[in-house]
Amino acid sequence: MHQTDFNYTYKELPSSLKKYGILFFIVGLFLAIVAFFVDRERAIFNYLVLYAMLVSIGLGSLFLVALEYITNADWSVPFRRIPEFLSGILPLLFILVIPLLIFNHDLFHWTHKEVVEQDPILKGKEPYLNMTFFVIRVIAFISIWILFYWLIGKNSFKQDETKDQNLTRKNIVLSAVFVPIFAITITFTSIDWLMSLEPHWFSTIFGVYYFSGTVIAALSVVTLIVVHLKEKGYYSPWISEDHLYSFGALLFGFVNFWAYIAFSQFLLIWYANLPEETFWYLTRWEGSWSIFSVLLILVHFVVPYAVLLSQPSKMDPKKLKFISIWLLFAHLLDLFWLVMPNMSKMKSGYYFSWIDLVFPVLGIGIVMIVFHYFSKNKNLIPVGDPKLQRGLNFHL
Amino acid sequence: MNIDYSKEAPVVAGRLSLAEIEELVAKPLDTKPDRKYFIALSIAVSALMIGAISLGLSFYWGLGLWGNNQPIGWAFDIVNFVFWVGIGHAGTLISAILFLLRQKWRTGIARFAEAMTIFAVICAGLFPAIHTGRPWLDGYLLPYPNQHSLWVNFTSPLLWDVFAVSTYFTVSLVFWYIGLIPDFATLRDRTNSKIKKTIYSIFSLGWRHSSRHWQHYEKAYMLLAGFATPLVLSVHTIVSFDFAVSILPGWHTTIFPPYFVAGAIFSGFAMVVTVLVFVRKVFNLENIITMDHLDKMNKVILATGMMVGYAYGMEFFIAWYSGVQAEQFVFVNRAFGPYAWAYWIMVSCNVIFPQLFWFRKFRRSIPVMMVIVILVNVGMWFERFVITVTSLHRDFLPSSWGYYVPTLYDFGLLIGSFGLFFTLVILFTKTLPVVSISEVKAVAEGAQPSHHGGVVNA
Amino acid sequence: MHNNKLYGIAAIFDNPDKIIAAAKKTVEAGYSKFDVNTPYPVHGMEKAMKLKPSKLGFITLVFGLTGSFLALFFMYWTMSLDYPMIIGGKPFFALPAFIPVTFEVTVLLATLATVIGMITFFFKFPENHHPLHDTNYMKQVSIDKFGLVIESVDKNFEIEKVKDFLNSLNPISIEEIYYKEKETYSVLEPRFLTFLFAIALVTSGSTYFILNKLLYMTPFNWMSEQLKLNPQKPSELFADGFGMRNPVKGTVARGFMPYLAKGQNNPTELLENPYLITEENIKLGKSKYLTFCSPCHGNYGDGDSRLRGQFPNPPSLHSQRARDFKDGMIYHVIVNGQNSMPSYAPYLNVEERWAVVNYIRVLQRAKNASDSDIQFVKKENLNNASN
Repeated sequence: MHQTDFNYTYKELPSSLKKYGILFFIVGLFLAIVAFFVDRERAIFNYLVLYAMLVSIGLGSLFLVALEYITNADWSVPFRRIPEFLSGILPLLFILVIPLLIFNHDLFHWTHKEVVEQDPILKGKEPYLNMTFFVIRVIAFISIWILFYWLIGKNSFKQDETKDQNLTRKNIVLSAVFVPIFAITITFTSIDWLMSLEPHWFSTIFGVYYFSGTVIAALSVVTLIVVHLKEKGYYSPWISEDHLYSFGALLFGFVNFWAYIAFSQFLLIWYANLPEETFWYLTRWEGSWSIFSVLLILVHFVVPYAVLLSQPSKMDPKKLKFISIWLLFAHLLDLFWLVMPNMSKMKSGYYFSWIDLVFPVLGIGIVMIVFHYFSKNKNLIPVGDPKLQRGLNFHL
Repeated sequence: MNIDYSKEAPVVAGRLSLAEIEELVAKPLDTKPDRKYFIALSIAVSALMIGAISLGLSFYWGLGLWGNNQPIGWAFDIVNFVFWVGIGHAGTLISAILFLLRQKWRTGIARFAEAMTIFAVICAGLFPAIHTGRPWLDGYLLPYPNQHSLWVNFTSPLLWDVFAVSTYFTVSLVFWYIGLIPDFATLRDRTNSKIKKTIYSIFSLGWRHSSRHWQHYEKAYMLLAGFATPLVLSVHTIVSFDFAVSILPGWHTTIFPPYFVAGAIFSGFAMVVTVLVFVRKVFNLENIITMDHLDKMNKVILATGMMVGYAYGMEFFIAWYSGVQAEQFVFVNRAFGPYAWAYWIMVSCNVIFPQLFWFRKFRRSIPVMMVIVILVNVGMWFERFVITVTSLHRDFLPSSWGYYVPTLYDFGLLIGSFGLFFTLVILFTKTLPVVSISEVKAVAEGAQPSHHGGVVNA
Repeated sequence: MHNNKLYGIAAIFDNPDKIIAAAKKTVEAGYSKFDVNTPYPVHGMEKAMKLKPSKLGFITLVFGLTGSFLALFFMYWTMSLDYPMIIGGKPFFALPAFIPVTFEVTVLLATLATVIGMITFFFKFPENHHPLHDTNYMKQVSIDKFGLVIESVDKNFEIEKVKDFLNSLNPISIEEIYYKEKETYSVLEPRFLTFLFAIALVTSGSTYFILNKLLYMTPFNWMSEQLKLNPQKPSELFADGFGMRNPVKGTVARGFMPYLAKGQNNPTELLENPYLITEENIKLGKSKYLTFCSPCHGNYGDGDSRLRGQFPNPPSLHSQRARDFKDGMIYHVIVNGQNSMPSYAPYLNVEERWAVVNYIRVLQRAKNASDSDIQFVKKENLNNASN
């Protein structure tokens, strides 16, 4: 009585993916280069936002894959390929990080030796915040991620042919090892790239805060792609509303989680009112930044919460598609809000420039090309996974 | 150890039929308690009495009997409070969060864990009430128009606690009771005793297993789970606010909310495992509370233990990174000062020993499990002790440094709270079904229509 | 049983697949007043019975929102309007600090409303006298059987037809369910009224007792009744009734050195002046001199104050004797007093006494200035003027 009529035949993704990907990439890259010549500082800060966004999507996707393995989840098995393809961003990070390392002087206050010498607090942080150790960390973290991406991905793709259950077991072990390492690396990545932009400021929850956004970003891209592919007929008829509901519910859960973490961080700093902490929020309340701060609450929490609250809307493909694009924008806004007020020219308030619009275009191009490249000649569904049948039969 | 991933592991082992499940669960309620039961009960009640005597003397002579003194104004009272609230988190986690995550294995343990939640919150609620010194005036904590025409301070985290803990207790109780209604109906229909039947009838409210009711019932269960999930997070978050909104180094740190919640789940699960291992043995529930369930709970303990470890690490790193001297001093003092012994008990019990759960063999071995979960309980109690006492005992001026030593009355109250908890647990096992009959039936083999994908191990 | 009314006809099935099929067919056959009883919720039953989705969520939403707004408004009213207080430097309407309580009240109200709404409004509970109770049917569906009952109030209900229909579904057994008609009682029944009255009495009485008596009873009042000094009352601790005690003999106050030559008319050992003459010191001395010394000795130390002639004349400070006094001697006079001059030790501390001594020296020199002094002052004045 099972739905045993499942027969997967390989179907090429449309060539328009590649076409648009390259278009976005070239236009984005061209404008980005122009932006560098127009206003280097603004461009590099924007580029950092993009870099953090790509780390969110790539690393978050790998986390989603690992999460499926360690929790022994079955509903998400048919879609595991999507985050697997997306985590292909990780090897690219080695190239993407280069401009940031070259222009580190524009980004990081603490790279200026003469400033550090006069500032006892920065002097105290020097054993951690110095360029050598920074570069070592960046390289080590990216290498670790790539290692796990490669190991887990290799087993998963091999299973398509061998249908060997041992590979699932191996991946469960790998994932279990990966998750604690992920927790540590993502924390220090967020401290390095985002928190140390304002080297005087500190918050113990910051790693968790970035993590919550990361999962939202990765989950949104996956949801967006799944719903889109379903609409284009790549998944039907195996996918039921219950699968979509799971995506909606997870998104809803993580939207709440983000709000919880963000509120906890804000409330504690606001309440204790210690000058060495509050200035960070005050900068983001300076001039027009206050609009961004209010907007962040609305965009990142209130709207998605209201949209996803009711049960039917969690499984409505249209709403899911809308909200996943919305949440991607929200995460981008979140990163923008974290990064940009540290720019020396924007300390007192935001002013508009076309440069801010360029880098997301480049990002979309990169994600599309990565997805196209890694999905080429690969099954869109892990056909050899022992849990696949369970996943397809999934009902609430 | 070859697991077949293509099949879901059965939730109920031993291929029990629906009637057998019911028989198994309802049996302790039909039989007279034996000698072992009374021995266990008398031990628990003795502990409770120790607590009662300590409490009576504390009221009669005043709280000067406790070891609290400047600069350590908060000690065992708050430590025990946070400890017990933490224990209470496992129940709601199992019944609400795992319900939302559709973890079927929760059915076997949910009822018991929920009961433990309620008892633990009772134990927890005791301490803030008595630490006021004059608990008969605790009514002033409620915002009612009193004769002073004063209102409570809504910006105080201690008041948030009043709201959080009382809401949590009420919602847990309601949640628990809702789950019990169908079971009361089942018990009503199977008993022959007139008195029991009357009691069960009253509590079952006239439930008749109607599908028209089940529909709303399931919806309500989901709504309650949806509310209980953020609620359970909020409770320990607010408990953490008690500390973290202050400006005391060692208390004021932004990671406290998620760190406290993870710690609460950690200690709660440890306590649930501690008790369940006995319960499944004594009441022959090995097929309903299976080794798989314990295995999964141990995995949760491992995961949350590492989250707690992460928080310890982050606190230390950021204390150094912050460049704030007072902050740095507190953490160095914590690990190497006069209370270093407590700190290292905490770290070894919470972070180091649970690492054994990486190995499947240890996760599935009752003796190893028992040792680890008891160590976790100890470690988590010490965690609260370390947070409270080490942050306070060395004030900003060395002239106001002190060393806290608890008195006999402090220990008496701690023992008493354990006595209260276990007395309630032991009484519960003989008066109410320790496993949700209707929920376990619903996930048993062949309990769901075959076309609906609900067939377990078909 | 024949005096009783027929409630409905019930059929028992032994597996979930059959009950789902039976429910579907019952709907298809046009019956609407029927119910399915199962020991646990069977998946897919809502669809089989064609039930509308539960509306319970609306109760939750409405009461949840009510809770949020009530809590926020109440906190706003108490903290900002009724009794505004600045706490921790936060604004009266400290929104972030109100969020935890708002959240808790929302959850509390929403859950209680959901549960109470479900039990009373959707279930119409408590209902322990439903016809299905205590039937063989109920006992079976309570354990492991699945039952379907078609009620006699259904518009298509005909005993034989329903029986045939149910038999066609292959049940294990079929049962007719009867019930006794309920007796009804008047609301004005004296027994009921007495009962109501008793409840009213107990409720109001205990409320009065709790709010007006119990709340003011203090079980242990060591704190208010301990031995202590009460304001405006004689002390019970000392025989003389004084609460304030004199210090023990020989007590030395903090920051004060005892003056050993006190009481001697011609002290043998005089103290050395430890203070240098500075502008600040002179200013202090001047202010103290004008306050304490000038009433008798005059503003410039001539002994020409208003007291002259009314009193043993205060001596001039410019006499040869006074000018020959060592600093320590003037200090001694201030501390000890001389002739009819009392001691000024209680009013001037050590530094102030020496400052006065220095100031007197200034007055003495000004009164007997040498030429070089005058030249120097003139030069200073010129300098000041030209600046």
